[in-house]
Amino acid sequence: MEISDESGPTVHQEDPFEKEIRAVFQDTLGLIHIALVAHYGLEETEATELEKDLYVWFVRFCMRPGNRSPKESRPFLLVACCQFAREYQRYIVGTGVRETNDKVRELLNREPADVAQDFSQSLELLNYRHHPDHSDA
Amino acid sequence: MPETARILKFPHRGRVAVGLCLESAKSLALRYLDTPMSERSSDLLENCIAEPDAILALLGELRERCNTVPAIANDEAAKLFWLLNERPDRVGVFDEGHYFAGEAALMAGATSRLLGKRDDAELWFDRAESRYHRTINPGAALGRVSLERLVLLYDARRYERVFEILPSLVESFGKWGMVREALKCRLLEAMTLKETARLSEAVNRFRSLKNDPNVASEPAMHGVILAHLAELLSSNAEHLEATSIYKEALSLQHDDRQPIAVAHLKVAMGEGLREQGRIDEAVESYRSAISDYAGLGMQTLAAYLRVVTSEMLIALSRYREAEWELLAALPTIEEQKMVPEGFAAVTLLKESVRRRKTDSNALRELREHLQASK
Repeated sequence: MEISDESGPTVHQEDPFEKEIRAVFQDTLGLIHIALVAHYGLEETEATELEKDLYVWFVRFCMRPGNRSPKESRPFLLVACCQFAREYQRYIVGTGVRETNDKVRELLNREPADVAQDFSQSLELLNYRHHPDHSDA
Repeated sequence: MPETARILKFPHRGRVAVGLCLESAKSLALRYLDTPMSERSSDLLENCIAEPDAILALLGELRERCNTVPAIANDEAAKLFWLLNERPDRVGVFDEGHYFAGEAALMAGATSRLLGKRDDAELWFDRAESRYHRTINPGAALGRVSLERLVLLYDARRYERVFEILPSLVESFGKWGMVREALKCRLLEAMTLKETARLSEAVNRFRSLKNDPNVASEPAMHGVILAHLAELLSSNAEHLEATSIYKEALSLQHDDRQPIAVAHLKVAMGEGLREQGRIDEAVESYRSAISDYAGLGMQTLAAYLRVVTSEMLIALSRYREAEWELLAALPTIEEQKMVPEGFAAVTLLKESVRRRKTDSNALRELREHLQASK
């Protein structure tokens, strides 16, 4: 999913904090998409739609009192992503719309927070490869 | 980003999170609040509940009203909580249903406390905690519940517990960058020092708060800080500075229309006048504050002040008025189990009756008269 720059009421009023949230989301989007499609087995279009909801959620989540910077909130974004994906896929599989394989079934049985932690480690590794001088990112 | 997210037949949501612009969200929230509870249509309820931004606007609006019309904010927050609770899976995205319900419960608890309903406040805080626990990263939200519980302990005069718990909470709010909550903790600490007669420490804390640049954006809190500081200075016979601070506080409250802070200020001024021996004026200031608190539904504070006022009235030999104040306070004292006030009220009543040298039936007659006129 691309986060479009098309003008609209929300984009018009975007403040620096929202821009930062957007940037963090955009940075994490690749990993989110991999999680949704490659790991949880969602179709491309489903993943794209879930990502849009996830973005709306992340904006409001970062604005909750006491939440840290968007960058520090990234692990929570991944937890939400995994929980979203699990609930959605469980529903689809449960209603018989789609069959699933052992790999996805195993993932659906795991706690989203644990799965997200694995993805976070991938994110750290990815960041380290891209920016070896800023491995804390 | 296009706001067109559409997820197929996700069973846990009736409508998708499309996000409203700020104006539309606020307008919907105001329409909801401006419509009397009994006249809200199911469409209006559904529209509001289906839009997370409208719920956020509603919570923001209610937060403003906590300090101006706490009884109404209390009813609305409770109503909103039950509304959200009926359909936790249909509200917002992901954990938002639980988060919004937690916010509504926290507000219902905070206003219950203001209204002197301490048992209700505890129950609402339990509900807030249980909802927050089901959200992602609940630490900060739970910290806000802890702070409200701490204020409840202060109200119940459990000062040793306040001192014990406060430091860890201050540290947490600092870590989370929650400036307003950290200020509130510091104010609570200063007020507790004042109540435990550690007056010079209290003055230092209030001065430090007064000079904190973050206080400027919190007019209600600013007013309370000034009122307490002026009261302490007045009790230390520093009347010149106290008067100047009272004036500053009055202008702040006048500009910002904060009835609770104005009532607090009247109490502080009454205390200052009493310290100066201007008892008649002090009584008037207290009575004005009692009327304000009663009008706001804050019965426990009104009852407490009635006891304090009666003591002054006895000193002025206005026994009959003193007894009326005490008897008016008794139902709340009994209902809210205000033990120290209860003892004080009984002692003062006896003293008043003794000094009046009337027959002992006067007290009973007075009580019966009051009960009949309720």
